[in-house]
Amino acid sequence: MGGKVKKLPKVTQFYRNEDQFSPGVAFCSGCTLELNLRFISRVLGKDAVFVGTPSCSAPVLNGANTGAWHKHAHYACTMTGVASSATGLTRAYQKAGKEATVVCYTGDGCAMDVGFQPLSGAAERNEKLIYICYDNEGYMNTGIQRSSATPLGAETSSTQVGSRARGKTTGSKHMAMIMAMHDIPYVATATLSHLDDYAKKLIKARELAKTGFVYLHVFTPCNVGWKTPTDASIEVCRTAVRTNYFPLWEAEHGEFRITYKVRNPKPVSDLTSLLGKFRHLDDGQIAALQNQVDKRFKIVQSLCGTSALPH
Amino acid sequence: MALIDVKIKPGSGPIFTTEGPWSDSSTGTLCLPTGTWRTERPILEEKKCTYCGLCYLYCPPQCIHAEAEFFTIDLKFCKGCGICAKECPTGAIAMVLEGAVADGSG
Amino acid sequence: MVAVNLEHRPRRVLTGNAAAAYAVRLCRPDVVSLYPITPQTEVIEQLEKFYADGSLDCEMVTVEGENSAQNVVCGASMAGSRVFTATSSWGLAFMYDAMLQTAGYRAPVVMVNVNREPPGIQSVCSGQQDMIATRDSGWIQVIAESVQEILDLTIMAYRLAEDYEVQLPVMVNYDGYYLSFLAESIEIPTQTDVDAFLGVLKQQPQRPVLEPGCERGVGAHGLGAGFVELRRKHMAAMERSKQKFDAIDTDFGESCGRHYYGQIETYRTDDADIVLVTSGSAAGTARTVIDAKRQAGIKAGLVKIRMYRPFPKERLALALKGKKAIGVLDRSVAFGWDCGPMHQETSALAAKIGCMPILGFIDGLANMDITKPHIERMVDDIQNAALGNDFREVTWVASGE
Repeated sequence: MGGKVKKLPKVTQFYRNEDQFSPGVAFCSGCTLELNLRFISRVLGKDAVFVGTPSCSAPVLNGANTGAWHKHAHYACTMTGVASSATGLTRAYQKAGKEATVVCYTGDGCAMDVGFQPLSGAAERNEKLIYICYDNEGYMNTGIQRSSATPLGAETSSTQVGSRARGKTTGSKHMAMIMAMHDIPYVATATLSHLDDYAKKLIKARELAKTGFVYLHVFTPCNVGWKTPTDASIEVCRTAVRTNYFPLWEAEHGEFRITYKVRNPKPVSDLTSLLGKFRHLDDGQIAALQNQVDKRFKIVQSLCGTSALPH
Repeated sequence: MALIDVKIKPGSGPIFTTEGPWSDSSTGTLCLPTGTWRTERPILEEKKCTYCGLCYLYCPPQCIHAEAEFFTIDLKFCKGCGICAKECPTGAIAMVLEGAVADGSG
Repeated sequence: MVAVNLEHRPRRVLTGNAAAAYAVRLCRPDVVSLYPITPQTEVIEQLEKFYADGSLDCEMVTVEGENSAQNVVCGASMAGSRVFTATSSWGLAFMYDAMLQTAGYRAPVVMVNVNREPPGIQSVCSGQQDMIATRDSGWIQVIAESVQEILDLTIMAYRLAEDYEVQLPVMVNYDGYYLSFLAESIEIPTQTDVDAFLGVLKQQPQRPVLEPGCERGVGAHGLGAGFVELRRKHMAAMERSKQKFDAIDTDFGESCGRHYYGQIETYRTDDADIVLVTSGSAAGTARTVIDAKRQAGIKAGLVKIRMYRPFPKERLALALKGKKAIGVLDRSVAFGWDCGPMHQETSALAAKIGCMPILGFIDGLANMDITKPHIERMVDDIQNAALGNDFREVTWVASGE
């Protein structure tokens, strides 16, 4: 081993900003949501106004009586009302001439299921706010139930594996792409193994939210729900990117671009073999999942092909 | 400014000074002793550390702090997840069972 | 030389819906959310017209559903804005989870609800069931009888909702079709009138608001005693709002020349033997019937309920105490009680008013007119009971009983 490297990754510059969150908060050991929230807070700054909802994040974002776990301005609301409440906030600030970065922070269950209507509505109206969906592929806070983000074949408490059933029978919605079809300034995918890429997207998000709606879809594995050890979090993110299961791309004013090129994508079984929720998959199910991954990536690729931006 | 003192127990003041459910962090934040959760703790072997910063970057509770030439781990809040050990490219961090280490070391 | 205010208040012929929109414009809202539903749509169309022609300077949010309409105004209100939205029946039901939040957060939202039968039996017609279905939402609910009252009550609603000692959302109800599309000649307060009337709010302490960097959170979890405390504060605020409503009504009378007697209006009840209790546009019809019955020698009186939530139990008890018989005309039903809701709630005052017969009448469902003959018959039934004869406790006049 050579001498000390003595140069921290560039993205750690954001860690010089004071952590607005209490050091001891109720996220599971190794939870990607904890890293996600602290990271977003550090990059977007202490004046970001968070809008949250019942979820794994609620015990941290919400106050406990008058006590709080963080110093951000925060608005809690129902799962059905996140994007619409945030709309109220951002419009109020605009009327009052107050600069603000309003950030919706929800899981996939809210963004893609019960809160989808107001999200789509707010995007269509091009409201000036950032919507960050952390995708752990299920309703985790209530004990790991399937959502429309849960992938084909996955085991959850509402898609169990037994003699009659072998996990979820349908694939997931391609949410980031759905949002990219809303004619908004910025949509991007991101994950926690590629924090440099994520930071750039957060900075862009903050800028472009001044002009309209921004949607970020972040891949955030859940160790409890996906049945992985607590130290696997970052490795799972990295593998998802390397298998093209979760490609990193962005669409700025409709111009698509892959932001992290994967030269030799690995088979999706590299990812499924890491995850307990896929332990039961048979060859047919893995093939079906690979097919879905390939199809999805082809769509992203072809949209990038029409882009004017270099790719 | 409280409009009504709703005394739940005799002698105790109101919990909320507002009419509605507002939390307030201006005087500080709540804190859980999350260090008591863990069953393993990270031990950093300085001579293997190349100061790449990946442990610092990826620690979810961000309890690894960067000093000028080394890192310190705040064991009051380390949940023992092991991400730092897993991501370390030189194997400079080992996860060791609590109880196998005498208090004060690490 | 004496300075005289030469601003005269204009008169216009307006529908009930348009009157609500004129009132809202005078109150200078910051954020308004719009979603169409019959029979309210004209309210938002008129507001959008004001916005488009520049006479209403606010953020207009044309949302994709009523649930969002409520969340938008709740969020904006908690960020410090004055807000408005309008809905009816199906839309009211759709925004129910958001309404509970608005009330629990103590957001001073003002909302018009044009009464229409809610889902369950498909219909596009008048009825009070929609507001009854939300009677436990924690909102203040008031009811208008005429187009003039719609305009005046909407202005008063802001003064009530935003009062520091109230901080509760207010729903202004009026009968769909009978008032929403009825055109009457009304007087409109001037901008100066309304600015002054609402201006007193600026002299009060200001409620907390959510701003970037404010180190506060809205919607904290209520835990144990904290939860109970918030509930009790809410209940206490509702109680305070009764007297506030009376005082605001008096103040409005002084500022704008009209007053309505606050929580309830009593008409010829002082020396009455029997009293009919009702609300909304039916009260207008009832007043003429009471006069006719008085001519015929029956000592009848009328109570019009203007504030339904909180229920005006003290003043109502005062008006009904010692009467020989009472009748309550409901435009809705109280499921599980086999009677109308206002009848149910008035009956709960028995300990305070005495054990006289309290008759219930259910009429005016689904746009079936409450006619003068209907009300004449109701008064006759009440009088019959007052004389000690057998009586039917609940009569479905709508079914022709």
